[in-house]
Amino acid sequence: MGHGGDLRFQVQNLTRVEGEGSLHLRVRDGVVEEAHLEIFEAPRYFEALVVGRTPDEVIDIVARICGICPVAYQMSAVHAFEDLFHVEVQPETRALRRLLYCAEWIESHALHIYLLHAPDFLGYPSAVELARDHRELVDGGLRLKKAGNHLLSVLGGRPIHPVSVKVGGFSRMPDRAELVALRPSLEEALALSQATVDVVTGLEAPAFEREPRLVSLKHRNEYPLNDGRIVSNDGVNLRASDWRKAFHEVQVPWSNALQSRAADGLPYLLGPAARVVLAGDQLHPLAKEALVRTGALESIRRNPYRSIVARAVELVHVCAEALDIIDGYVKPDAPAVAYTPRPGVAAWATEAPRGLLFHRYVVGNDGKVAAATIVPPTSQNQAAIEADLATFAPAVLDLPMGEATHRLEQLIRSYDPCISCATHFLDLSVEEVG
Amino acid sequence: MTAPRPDLRILVCGTADRGDDGAALAAISHVLPELPDSLRGRVEVRRCPQLDVTDLLDIGVGESVVVVDTVVGVEPGNVITMSLDELARRPAGVAPRSSHALSVDDALLIAEALRGAVPSGVFVGIGGRWFGYGERFSRSVKGNLPAFAAAIRTSIEELLAVPR
Repeated sequence: MGHGGDLRFQVQNLTRVEGEGSLHLRVRDGVVEEAHLEIFEAPRYFEALVVGRTPDEVIDIVARICGICPVAYQMSAVHAFEDLFHVEVQPETRALRRLLYCAEWIESHALHIYLLHAPDFLGYPSAVELARDHRELVDGGLRLKKAGNHLLSVLGGRPIHPVSVKVGGFSRMPDRAELVALRPSLEEALALSQATVDVVTGLEAPAFEREPRLVSLKHRNEYPLNDGRIVSNDGVNLRASDWRKAFHEVQVPWSNALQSRAADGLPYLLGPAARVVLAGDQLHPLAKEALVRTGALESIRRNPYRSIVARAVELVHVCAEALDIIDGYVKPDAPAVAYTPRPGVAAWATEAPRGLLFHRYVVGNDGKVAAATIVPPTSQNQAAIEADLATFAPAVLDLPMGEATHRLEQLIRSYDPCISCATHFLDLSVEEVG
Repeated sequence: MTAPRPDLRILVCGTADRGDDGAALAAISHVLPELPDSLRGRVEVRRCPQLDVTDLLDIGVGESVVVVDTVVGVEPGNVITMSLDELARRPAGVAPRSSHALSVDDALLIAEALRGAVPSGVFVGIGGRWFGYGERFSRSVKGNLPAFAAAIRTSIEELLAVPR
């Protein structure tokens, strides 16, 4: 596949990502002029579905946006409403919400590392073939995921689309014994996650480096989950409600998902790598120790393929923090505090497994939502993914089609895109037009 | 005291508020009350909005499974029954609708790799027409829910070796 003239490089139906999309590259004289993530999954209209609903209804509706990260949608929504209504939740509620988020991160990160991304590094077409040759590896990953599932079931009523979160707290708080019963599986998960860090650190990543603009939440006392300030490695420092002061959404003709840009119109990157780089000082001591052991902080920042290491370090963090929260848990007298709705703008950002998730709701005098804006992490990451593809693609265009497709898909999977949140990906064709 | 392991596990997939995706939940709610106590005591029903590999790995040795879900790839309202082994090896055909990050055939094949065999059991599905959030059943699915429930019951009785 030479590229002396113009080439159009089309990767249709990307695999092992959540949702439906494709990749289109236009190449002239070896230079990528155009890299488009074409997200054709149909629009889902959730921002319209929540209009006319009460905040508690909204919290349950937005959870349905994603089966992998429903907690993130609930958390951004509930914090937005509580910020507007001046609700101060009990410390136990705050801790349990972090625990709920830990459960989701365990599920999501274990799924991505072991079933979606590891096959790329180990040379397997999918987790099926990987499981045949590396039974213990996949089995360990599934046990990790199961620990997250159980935790989420206890806290949220079910392993997917939890139903317990409400403005002011929870509809039900678990008994201490229910959480303590989860300790053995979480202790095993912690050990598995520590081993995972060693495994993924040893995986050979393709040579590709760039200088990304990174954005995440950062909190003075804790690793960012549902609280903190929006920060970047180039000086952004905003309250979690003020995302729109530094970022904006744009529509591009090739995608059913809105993209996001920073104020200067340029892309930025969210997710595990951004968090580890910007907020790594707040990692749990065990996760911090694991990160130091990898010696990979700089490569996590510069090489997108090394995001798998950041994700594994975060697995250690959430398993360790989950155990700490359980050990300190005392069931409060009431599951939620009372509140009075008030009109205004409710906005907040929390950290979904894939990165910062921003919600904004206009609440009317009737206490119901009049307008909504939901900005998922994959939407925000699209432009950065396209920029990275444009930079990386020339290195693979001389490879056979199948190999080039694989390399590009692997790069896209590094960002763990959830297209159903934003809006699946690869089947490759190249058209020479010059 | 540990509860005795069931002889048969029923994994009910789908979500009630996404149109035809809730057909399995509706059908099983008709099947269970109609089962005699002697059968109901041998069955464990689990709800899995999205069938996960871990749901399949949890199935005990000697235990059979019925997976119930709405599918695409057949006419809306049509009811199909096939072995899980057959389902695992025809990914391009009938596709259960409620899977998420991993397709159901991938989940079954990973379970096969880890357990040494695809779990013993059957898949019972009904063709769905629409799956939008907040939608009701399509006419095709609503009209064929009795046939779907009957197919589920037949599978339960066959796997529990009930004389017919």
